Amino acid sequence: MTEVISFEQVERAEGHKFPGGKYSIQHWENFLLTACTGADVMQDGVVHPIALFHVPILGSGTTIAEMFALGRADSDMSISIESYDWQLFNPLKEDTEYDIQGKITDVTRHNDKPGDTAPVYDRIVFDFEVHDDYSLVASSTVIWHYRREPI
Amino acid sequence: MIANEGDKLPPWTMDSVSPERMQTMAAILRDPNPVHWDRKSVAQLGLGERCINQGPLGVGYMVNMLQNWAGENCIKRMFIRFPNPIILDGDHIISKGVVTKIYQHQGFDMAEVETWLERDGERGLIEATVTLQLPRD
Repeated sequence: MTEVISFEQVERAEGHKFPGGKYSIQHWENFLLTACTGADVMQDGVVHPIALFHVPILGSGTTIAEMFALGRADSDMSISIESYDWQLFNPLKEDTEYDIQGKITDVTRHNDKPGDTAPVYDRIVFDFEVHDDYSLVASSTVIWHYRREPI
Repeated sequence: MIANEGDKLPPWTMDSVSPERMQTMAAILRDPNPVHWDRKSVAQLGLGERCINQGPLGVGYMVNMLQNWAGENCIKRMFIRFPNPIILDGDHIISKGVVTKIYQHQGFDMAEVETWLERDGERGLIEATVTLQLPRD
């Protein structure tokens, strides 16, 4: 097997908590986001659900670039997406301040056994929660694969 | 709303994926990857001079179809997979779906739907399993 970055270096990210923070989705942001999908903005200030791609990340105080770095990504192109799992307990609304927390809950290595021929990758699970003043509004579990290149 | 297992949802079509929308989306997402706004960077990957659509926009086409069918607040859970998510500007994309399960939960009519994006009959670009709360008549 070709040598790649050690799993011990990557595994340190498990348990990492992002700073957390507040995020309000402004009307302009929802309008443009919705328009990009080819739809009209919804009634009563309801936000298009695809806001769950970026609002948990930015609201918890991190960025896509930091998530790449925490997983010791070899390059932007070495990342692939396994899945996003969203739960929406209430609709996201414009101009509502959400409290958002996020952390890395699992890091595992794959294809690193003798005889494995597929490229080695690390599977990293990020969990985010979006709360309003009263309850959990939405959650998002993001699973990315970090493909490892030989050192 | 009456729905049955096996029902096909009315498809939702994006006639031509727009590079201008990708540029706006890149700014909203704060996604610095040039493949979404610089065609020359995509050409270096051997995909021609066409920008790569953001995965969230492809999921947006699915969401639009689901909400057109069952209402704006219908989505309760969405498990999204990206087996081959390379969608390029100019692509003609159709979102499709089929009802796989109908049940009741806490007094509400619920549906489970398998949904996917197609390009020229090719499936498996982006797929999702979705739990919907159906509107009352």
